[in-house]
Amino acid sequence: MSAADLSPALPALRRQSWLTRIWKARPPLVIGLCIAWLVVVILAALFAEYLAPFGFAEQSLLKRLKPPGALGGPAENLFGTDDLGRDVFSRVIYAMRTSILIAIMATMIGATVGTALGIVAAHFRGWVDDVIMMLVDFQASVPFLIVALAVLAFFGNNFVLLIILIGLFGWDGYARIARSLVLSTNGQGYAFAIRTLGVHPAKVYVHHVMPNMLGVIMVQITLNFPEIILLETSLSFLGLGVQPPGTSLGLLLGEGRNYLTTAWWMGIPAGMVIFLTTLAISLLGDWLRDMLDPSLGAKSE
Amino acid sequence: MNLQFVLTKLFRGAMTLLLAVTFVFIVLRASGDPAQMMLSDEASPEALAAFRARWGLDGSYLEQYFTYLSAIVQGDFGDSFRDGRPALQVVMERVPVTLQLGITALLITLLLGIPAGILAALNRGKFVDHAAMSFTIFGQSVPNFFLGIILILVFSMTLRWLPSSGTGSFWHLVMPAATLATATTATVARFTRSSMLDVLHQPFMRTAKAKGIPQERRVLRHALPNAAIPVVTVVGMRIGGLIGGAVTIETVFAWPGVGMLLVNSVNQRDLAVVQAVVLLIALTMVVVNLVVDLTYGWLDPRIDLHSKKATA
Repeated sequence: MSAADLSPALPALRRQSWLTRIWKARPPLVIGLCIAWLVVVILAALFAEYLAPFGFAEQSLLKRLKPPGALGGPAENLFGTDDLGRDVFSRVIYAMRTSILIAIMATMIGATVGTALGIVAAHFRGWVDDVIMMLVDFQASVPFLIVALAVLAFFGNNFVLLIILIGLFGWDGYARIARSLVLSTNGQGYAFAIRTLGVHPAKVYVHHVMPNMLGVIMVQITLNFPEIILLETSLSFLGLGVQPPGTSLGLLLGEGRNYLTTAWWMGIPAGMVIFLTTLAISLLGDWLRDMLDPSLGAKSE
Repeated sequence: MNLQFVLTKLFRGAMTLLLAVTFVFIVLRASGDPAQMMLSDEASPEALAAFRARWGLDGSYLEQYFTYLSAIVQGDFGDSFRDGRPALQVVMERVPVTLQLGITALLITLLLGIPAGILAALNRGKFVDHAAMSFTIFGQSVPNFFLGIILILVFSMTLRWLPSSGTGSFWHLVMPAATLATATTATVARFTRSSMLDVLHQPFMRTAKAKGIPQERRVLRHALPNAAIPVVTVVGMRIGGLIGGAVTIETVFAWPGVGMLLVNSVNQRDLAVVQAVVLLIALTMVVVNLVVDLTYGWLDPRIDLHSKKATA
């Protein structure tokens, strides 16, 4: 309703700025670009060894710190080379694979653990609920980067621990959502009806409650996924995540940081990839939320 | 605001702290022999024995837990093995440097984020709104360490306007604080906007308009106090983000605060310092949440002080 628009009356013919026009064209244009970029990222992650012109560890000491091909460097090195003569473009592609892989696995861990705990909390209520919700509050109240750093300090760094740790980031969001959805579903007639028929509670959750949660969980994933990418890349950037000789987008940016004056191209492409990926998922998530939220008048269907 | 409300919140804060200490205790015990982990590799057998005696490591886990708890309560976090000083002291001397950065960023967040959100809400669908919302999407997506590096590249290396690292003058503070504030400003602006839009649609706002109250007064005295509660919540939540962000940003700009100390201590496995930092941050967050909760009671007397779960 624009009835409560408090701004002073405007001239009837309001000229739209370029920004307004882009904004209005958002669903078709910007969302399309976001999807296109995400497809590129996924393809790069899947087919890194076919797409990368060089191996990610392939050194060529004769052409160290060469600028990108377009800026006077060797033509075969699209993004230039690093301090060991490795091709930055190839390293970015392999790094996308690592970072995306970690993010996907971590998201699956967080979504599964969180949803399960949320359902458990809502099913049993009582002290189980209290304990789980206390853990949720705790998780939400302490910055997770700090917790992750502490655990890595105590246990030392290894890849599996890193994935599990990153996976535990954000479970609280899923738990909260699953819990409140189950609570509201249990209050609805159909769940009660099925239960009265003697169906096992586990079956009720899997066959009847979960399908109704999927949309909301998907939206939560679009919120959680960029944060997970940022967590992994932050840790790797600080030298405490993925370890060399492995690559991660954060690690590439961290390595490139020491060469900002002489070879900015070492880190900036990786940083751009992180930024564009988190941006694309956030925009897509916003759009999805608008589509799924019935109170905003979904246009789908 | 009644006493029961305050006591409930205090109790929850204390429980969170206890959980944090327990968490650190479990991680410490699960990751190996604490005596060997907390001391350096070259520690003498006597030093190891002394450490075991001090932390009660010969007793059962339950006894160890209570020994640990009582030590933490007394502010004894162990000694940094780098220079043998108490870990708490090592951390506390870095706190003012981090506070300087964090408070500046918080001020930027409040002074830019809230007005930007209000303006966007008042000019919904117009240029100001789109500009502000484009900024929020940028601010929420850009990784802070990448933003910091881009700023260094532009303002330190190319234009040579600002120092790229260290501390000492106002100019050193500009880029780290701006970088740290970007994400929080974006979030606060977004929440302020949506919260204001909700309030602007309320019937009492129409009544106020019909009564002929001037716009500034309607917005500042009628709408803003009502829109403030979600904004206070998000500001409180984003303080955790500021603390987390400070870790990477202090490293990017070589800002010698608690965040950089934490990263260095993790790298060198100076675990006494790590646990001191983690527990102090948990304490900070508990205090922040407490302040936020008490602010609600003050902002909105209608809040049901007896409601047990607001999360349902």
